[in-house]
Amino acid sequence: MGLGTLWAQRVRRDWRQLLMWTVGTGLLAYLSYVGVSQSYGSEQERASLLAAAVANPVILLFRGLPSGADEGAFMVFLIMPWLALLAAFMSAFLAVRHTRGDEEAGRAELVSATPAGRMMPVVATALHGIGANVVLGALVAVAYIAVGLDPAGAVVAGAAAACVGVCFLGVGLVCAQLLRTSRAANATAVWITLAAFLVSGIGNAIGTPSDDLSHVESSGFAWASPFGWAENTRAFDEDLWWPVLLGLAAGFVLAGSTIALAAARDLGESFIPARRGRTEASVALSSPTALVWRLTRGAIIGWLVGGLIAGVMSTSLASIVEEVGASNPAIEEIVRQISGDASVEQGTITTFFTMLGVLAACCAVQVVCRARQEEAHGTAEIVLSAPVARVRWLADYLAVAAVGIVLVVAAAIGGAALGIAARGGDGDLMLTVVVTGAGQAIGASVFLVATALAFVLVPRITIPLGWSLVVLGMTLGLFGPLFGFPEWLVRVSPVAVTPIVDGDTIDVRGLWWLVGAVAVGAVASLGLMRRRELATGG
Amino acid sequence: MATVIRTSGLHKHYGRVRALDGLDLEVSSGQIHGFLGPNGAGKSTTIRVLLGLARATSGEALVFDRDPWRDAVALHRRIAYVPGDVSVWPNLSGGEAIDFLARLRGASRRDAVYRAEKQRLLEAFQFDPRKKGRAYSKGNRQKISLIAALAVPADLYVLDEPTSGLDPLMDVVFRREVARVRDAGATVLLSSHILSEVEQLCDRVSIIRAGRIVESGTLADLRHLTRTEVSFEADDATALDGIVGAHDPAYEAGRARFTVDSDAVASVLPELARRQVAGLRVQPPTLEELFLRHYGEDVAAEQNGERERARVSSTSGR
Repeated sequence: MGLGTLWAQRVRRDWRQLLMWTVGTGLLAYLSYVGVSQSYGSEQERASLLAAAVANPVILLFRGLPSGADEGAFMVFLIMPWLALLAAFMSAFLAVRHTRGDEEAGRAELVSATPAGRMMPVVATALHGIGANVVLGALVAVAYIAVGLDPAGAVVAGAAAACVGVCFLGVGLVCAQLLRTSRAANATAVWITLAAFLVSGIGNAIGTPSDDLSHVESSGFAWASPFGWAENTRAFDEDLWWPVLLGLAAGFVLAGSTIALAAARDLGESFIPARRGRTEASVALSSPTALVWRLTRGAIIGWLVGGLIAGVMSTSLASIVEEVGASNPAIEEIVRQISGDASVEQGTITTFFTMLGVLAACCAVQVVCRARQEEAHGTAEIVLSAPVARVRWLADYLAVAAVGIVLVVAAAIGGAALGIAARGGDGDLMLTVVVTGAGQAIGASVFLVATALAFVLVPRITIPLGWSLVVLGMTLGLFGPLFGFPEWLVRVSPVAVTPIVDGDTIDVRGLWWLVGAVAVGAVASLGLMRRRELATGG
Repeated sequence: MATVIRTSGLHKHYGRVRALDGLDLEVSSGQIHGFLGPNGAGKSTTIRVLLGLARATSGEALVFDRDPWRDAVALHRRIAYVPGDVSVWPNLSGGEAIDFLARLRGASRRDAVYRAEKQRLLEAFQFDPRKKGRAYSKGNRQKISLIAALAVPADLYVLDEPTSGLDPLMDVVFRREVARVRDAGATVLLSSHILSEVEQLCDRVSIIRAGRIVESGTLADLRHLTRTEVSFEADDATALDGIVGAHDPAYEAGRARFTVDSDAVASVLPELARRQVAGLRVQPPTLEELFLRHYGEDVAAEQNGERERARVSSTSGR
């Protein structure tokens, strides 16, 4: 009863969002081909990078399964886990949104009281999710066929990404049954997805390489993860279909158990009860600053982990880049464009720390955006009607955002030190690490004060504006050199003009401009806040 | 009696919308002052200005003789506020939110008085402090704000439609608590559109309409402006003849009824006594009638509008 109506309602509610997910994934597939054909044009270049990757487990952790140096197979090696990850996130969020999310909002009660009952919404959500994954897979396949790759391999690649999506659609559905809130269900699904991603990466890293270092046989560990199944299709190489069926089967089993679980519970209830909160606030939660920390610490820790990984990679990958760069001038050229004429090791650190600057900026922007969310949501009003001055209130967010930047950068510096220590490397590199890291902290602070100014002057667009600036800064500063943007345009991005180390000398580049911008921005935003009213709504 | 809140000619414009259009409000110390008006009349805007969360376009607002925009922090030390639409933090429990808000207003963790008071209020309002914010209903979110406001003493309580999500039992608790803080010497500004609540609680009432105060005074003052309804058992309409001062005589289902100016009720009683009427009922005017007198036009216009729309839609439906 009403299955078609429920499905149509889901499509109508979601189509814009799903369009972004599916087209975005298809676009990523297309860009991966463009990237490979430009940077690794010859088979020999690809083979050398593949050999370096197979020799280095850290790379295999974040890439797929090496299946030969052919253009298509090489590209799938680089991008498949990420396509699958996008499909997984799209599907898990979709599943939770239309089941637990609706239940929490009270809409599910309305629908379940009609002849649609309690099961039809679950079935409609599953169908809707499968539909979304079919579209995603088709777009990936179309992207590869459009660039002239083998259609059979293109279809396998699309199906591999989609089957991971279907599998995590099932994971999302089950999480939504087990947990009481959509937030908890989403978080659990995300953790399971990331764990599966890592399991597959580790499984590949400890797998058995072929003698010519062009293939890796996954270890059994990788077969425990849907990502492992998708990669073992070896699109454009062996074009295996049966691993796809594993993902589909897992998805269908999970969806089936969802129906059994839903049948056994009351609407609005869950198998794992919501965690009870504290009866009293801890001593720490006694000031507006403490509240900001409490509200944003989860996000800050997330970015901190990102910083740590960027740090580890910045020093542990330097040797590989050097090795690969020797045989592939294209890579060396990219690193040189971002970092100037420094050594390859220093250049790699600069490149990764430019990415770190973007991560730190994301952290800061997210914290400042939280101020806007508090204001729009109405919780800022109750804090500001207590003895808390407007300026102090905003200053707390700026301070916590600055602390966030420092923590992310510190984690990266720590990670870089670990990377150096792990390969018994050159302690002198730490100078580069510390100077570049500190410089990126200043660069990221520019995004902090820009978002703060937006919050004070044009509160309603704080969030889109803040994130747009980060994306712009990243595009210009990190990808600009790759896309061949003119130098003056690249240097508009704060993360592209921070101090770097060239040999033994420190080049401050735009440091004083950045310091000036941060100081002016901070003073202006706090000064203007004195005269700003509470801007609720919208 | 000292004046706690005084506004004169207060204007607040949002673009072309005049949310406040020359508001003159005066609230004296030690009173529960009802602030009455329908949604959109400007109650919440007034409160935002009084708390220094919004700045007046023109006119003057004083709270404890200070400018709420410039001296917001100093004033907030003396004010407890319950917003109309309470939002809480989704990942904080109710107990944490109460403690946090109370601590912002000066309560300390070791303060035994605060702890006892909070405990008493948690029990009185039957509030479970261990749920996470997103799990609370509107009424429960309101309880968080009310308990935090009432657990730390203040000189002025600003309550913006505080009972709109509470059930009738909790309403009783709320009224008891508000009466308690008044008896302790505090001033209360209670905005509401629930007339019975204001009628039961408030010492004075100001009625706001389209950003202006249209009526202000004690309930007794306001009642003088209206008529009291008198009714008694009778066989037919002739029972109403010859009563001096009676207006709007009517007879219906065995009862004769008329209205009389509220300050002239006593003068009709001898006549009624002489006639030895049975089943006499004297009903003072309700706030509702006061309210309708000011909003009657709007209500009538709205009903006309609805009828108009209904007519249009039925025509188009044909």
